[in-house]
Amino acid sequence: MIRVQQAPFDAGAEMAALSEGRTDIGALVSFVGRVRDFNERPEVEGLTLEHYPGMTEAALGEIVAEAEARWSLQGVRLIHRVGHLTPGDPIVLVVVASAHRRAAFEACDFIMDYLKTRAPFWKKEHTASGHYWVAERHSDHQDAQRWEEKT
Amino acid sequence: MSLTHLNARGEAHMVDVADKRETRREAVASGRVIMRPETLALLAEGGLPKGDVLATARIAGIQAAKRTHELIPLCHALPLSKVVIDFQLDEATSCVEVSALCRLNGRTGVEMEALTAVSVACLTLYDMCKAVDKAMQIEAVRLESKSGGKSGDYRRGVTPPTPIVTGSGEPGVVALGEAAQGSLLRVKCLAELRERLNVSELEIPLEALPSADVAGLKAALEARDAGFALLKEARILCAINQVMGGDQTPLTEGDEVAFFPPVTGG
Repeated sequence: MIRVQQAPFDAGAEMAALSEGRTDIGALVSFVGRVRDFNERPEVEGLTLEHYPGMTEAALGEIVAEAEARWSLQGVRLIHRVGHLTPGDPIVLVVVASAHRRAAFEACDFIMDYLKTRAPFWKKEHTASGHYWVAERHSDHQDAQRWEEKT
Repeated sequence: MSLTHLNARGEAHMVDVADKRETRREAVASGRVIMRPETLALLAEGGLPKGDVLATARIAGIQAAKRTHELIPLCHALPLSKVVIDFQLDEATSCVEVSALCRLNGRTGVEMEALTAVSVACLTLYDMCKAVDKAMQIEAVRLESKSGGKSGDYRRGVTPPTPIVTGSGEPGVVALGEAAQGSLLRVKCLAELRERLNVSELEIPLEALPSADVAGLKAALEARDAGFALLKEARILCAINQVMGGDQTPLTEGDEVAFFPPVTGG
């Protein structure tokens, strides 16, 4: 299940929903990305997340499908927020369920690496000294590259 | 860009500055009073009936800066640390150039104080000279520069360097001629690109493209507006009908082409 939404999410509720009534799930790994109060500049007061409706959901779907092709997974929940967020707010949730932990850990890591480099989202940060669009990070591409080399 | 003096319902309100940090704020404003050469000569030699024109106008400007909050409804009362009013007599253009500098360490800017000081100094010049010249004109009252505060530094005529500093990102639309009949392409500019180009969405006839592909679209857009040249930057990405593409991707009638910078989600 993939959602792009403005509203906050409840990671605990999402994990519970994914595993409810299932006894074949032996591992549940979750990742929550949050707004930091420092990034390219200190004193980040908030950020605005923009997406490309339609393409963003499709891109997230492809990333999850690829994870499901690489690992044996029992379920994935991916929620990404858009709109205005302030430091401490959760931005993104990935929950991966599988029979064994290794697949769940790796698939969760993979989904975040691909999301950061392939899903059409853009962050604009608001700081005490002005607003600016966040630049892409070389390290994110290196992180995503790791999964290319393994196959 | 939003107006900070209006609240969510569009009503005027005073901005709460209690939580803003104190920074050194400075603003310089200028203006001029154009007068007949004879008036300027009288002013220069102190021959005007009301006495020392410039000294009076200087005091008036300083007083006005201190009382700006009484005149401009939503301005805060500010403990200015410095106000300097300066006059230059220009015989070539037969005018008095007035400038005002205001400074303080505080939580809100001093542009309004500098502009008020210039305005009132100009008015006082008029009052002091009107007995001999009623045709004087007050002109070009404007902010020359400001520094400090959240919105950053400003200098007239100087555009800020990168990184791109913008307001809250209202989408803008640039009309590109008449909407042609028939085969249109829909073009979207997203995120930072939308703000740099001030274009959110536009339509362009397929016939305007030198070649029916993305490279052709970029050329056609650039021919309409030189600003679109930045679509050729290597970092700018492109999706055709929401699928990533490149310069060689062919385009047909009704296609949606989106241009955007590298993604930064997560």
